[in-house]
Amino acid sequence: MAMFVQHGHGKSDKIDAALDSGSIDGVIFGARNEKIENIESCVETVREKGGQVFLDPQFHVSAIIPANDRFLPDYPYYKVGRTSADFIGVKKISGHVKATLDYELTLSVDRLLSPTVIFDSFESKWCQTALNLADASLDYHASIKNAPPLLLSFVIGEQALESRIELDAFLDQVTSWEAMSGAYIIFSREDSSYSQRFESERLANALYLTYVLGSINGLEVINGFTDFCGLLFRSVGSTAFASGWSQSLRQFHKRSFTKQKPGGKLPRLRYTSTPLLNSILLSELQLIYENGALDAVLSGVPFDEVIVDADSPESSDWNARSSELQHWESLKTIEEHIGEDVSKNLSVIEKRIVAAQELYLMLTNEGVVFGPQSGSEHLEQWSEAIGTFREIASL
Amino acid sequence: MPLPNITEGDIKALIPEIKSAALIGHGGQKVVFRAIYNDQPIALKFALLSDTFNPENEDIDETVLRAQRETQIMQECTSPHMVKLGPIGLATACTADQNVLYFSEEFIDGQALKEVLKNEGPMQTDDVVRLGLHMCSAIADLWSLGKIHRDIKPGNIMRRADGTGYVLLDAGLAFDVAGESISAGFSVGTMAYFSPEQFDYTNRRTMDFRSDIFSLGVTLYEAATGQHPFFSPTTSAPHLFSKITKHNPAPPSSLNAAIPVALDNVILRMLGKSPHLRYRRIDQLREALAQVQEVR
Repeated sequence: MAMFVQHGHGKSDKIDAALDSGSIDGVIFGARNEKIENIESCVETVREKGGQVFLDPQFHVSAIIPANDRFLPDYPYYKVGRTSADFIGVKKISGHVKATLDYELTLSVDRLLSPTVIFDSFESKWCQTALNLADASLDYHASIKNAPPLLLSFVIGEQALESRIELDAFLDQVTSWEAMSGAYIIFSREDSSYSQRFESERLANALYLTYVLGSINGLEVINGFTDFCGLLFRSVGSTAFASGWSQSLRQFHKRSFTKQKPGGKLPRLRYTSTPLLNSILLSELQLIYENGALDAVLSGVPFDEVIVDADSPESSDWNARSSELQHWESLKTIEEHIGEDVSKNLSVIEKRIVAAQELYLMLTNEGVVFGPQSGSEHLEQWSEAIGTFREIASL
Repeated sequence: MPLPNITEGDIKALIPEIKSAALIGHGGQKVVFRAIYNDQPIALKFALLSDTFNPENEDIDETVLRAQRETQIMQECTSPHMVKLGPIGLATACTADQNVLYFSEEFIDGQALKEVLKNEGPMQTDDVVRLGLHMCSAIADLWSLGKIHRDIKPGNIMRRADGTGYVLLDAGLAFDVAGESISAGFSVGTMAYFSPEQFDYTNRRTMDFRSDIFSLGVTLYEAATGQHPFFSPTTSAPHLFSKITKHNPAPPSSLNAAIPVALDNVILRMLGKSPHLRYRRIDQLREALAQVQEVR
């Protein structure tokens, strides 16, 4: 089982460092953020370091108007501004599939990821298009000799997860494909601001979807663009999850792929605390330190030394790079202890949630004030979601 | 549905090669005779057609079309656990002032599973597994033709007297996956083996071989415990619907301690409320059943 880096803009040496330290098991490259002339060497570098490699073709960006598609127009399967008319008919669908998978086959990747489109409802025409692309990908994949295994990609708007009836019908359809060996699942978030929050009913259904594919049907499932939630998905049966270095690589939002007015502010430095099951601001870590509770929130990973060895968190050399690498180290320490027994895994997570809630309460009582993105709200949502999930999965 | 009123004399007049014919049973639409044809026993089935039936238009008559599908399936299936078409092909006739259709099947010398369970009680685990494996063969054979049986139940399974196993009968409801959902017009007893998706009048749910896996799961549950997981003589149709679609039955081992947990798990998974909770490939079910035998 594994944890991957979700690649995006500005990779610098982070991937190499994380692979060297063993805190990640591979990389899912995003075509949008890598020049086509560089992608092959990127793939090779990861492979040389023993990591698994995937290319997310990010075909779905072609149906976003106006798209923020960066390097995608250089990729042979990509065309800007595709509309629903571009997906009518078997010939067009097969053409998209062939162009995308043929390109991936030129790279030394471990799995092929099928082209897909984003949908916000299981009953929408875009969901049908996504299913048609997946079905055609299975057909084309079957015709290629010695191809790597194929994962069917789905980018599912979290709003779609509100309807269990529609989700059930979707799962009936997908699991009826006998040739399917796995899926690359991304949940597109409704709220573009970064946090660990996930509305409990939707999260319960997201867990159910992952559980049905991974645990019940034995498929390989990779959850892309995740953060701490990736640990929940792994607990219910996904094979791996991917988390990136920036907030937009830890939760998927259509906004990230839509042209925006230039501007925005630099993200503030964060520290990932496994005891809190959250990434908190460095300034919040400073407050915790000043209240004498630093040890209680540390993740216990090698990069913590940067903070522990300094006089205080804010006076340390903590920077974006250390924050990113420490994030992966922290997630990995939990991920590597997840087993195959779903109920047991969830019990472990539930204990962690209770402990995190108690810790938040203790810190709040000590006077530590958390910002809206660093607070404990997600813990209650997760707890409710796990309860609901256990009920619907009879666990 | 009314059944044809046919006598041995009517049959001999209709098919002179028949030496003798004895009524052995009747289903929802057909009466069945054990007949001797060219010195071999066959099962001869008759169904009633409407008074207005016109042989010129038999290709639009629903009863004839259904029988055509049934005989075609029997012709195409190769599994030893699926009943075969007999020497008399599908034909229509007017006999004893009734329009009828008839065809023959191989005669299975044995006992319906329904009777076996009634007379002998719950089956041993090895027999349950064997029954499951044989029905997997029949379901796989049908599915290779893109068909689902839709009426797997103890009354439609025969145990051969020669000990060679079980045979699935009556593909009369078998349909391809595009077939309409059908739960209207059936007795509660028949619907007791329907999958949850067979009750879906909106046809939003996928119908594939996993529907047959559910029905087989109900059958195996009954074979292993002697009790139906959802139905009792006092169960009304609405209650049955609710139980099949919502109620999780007790593990079979809670009713029969001799049943191993491995078989519990297989049967309960077959009874998943949604197709996506059951086995995704028939081979997976076969392997799971084979493992039950291995661990014993």
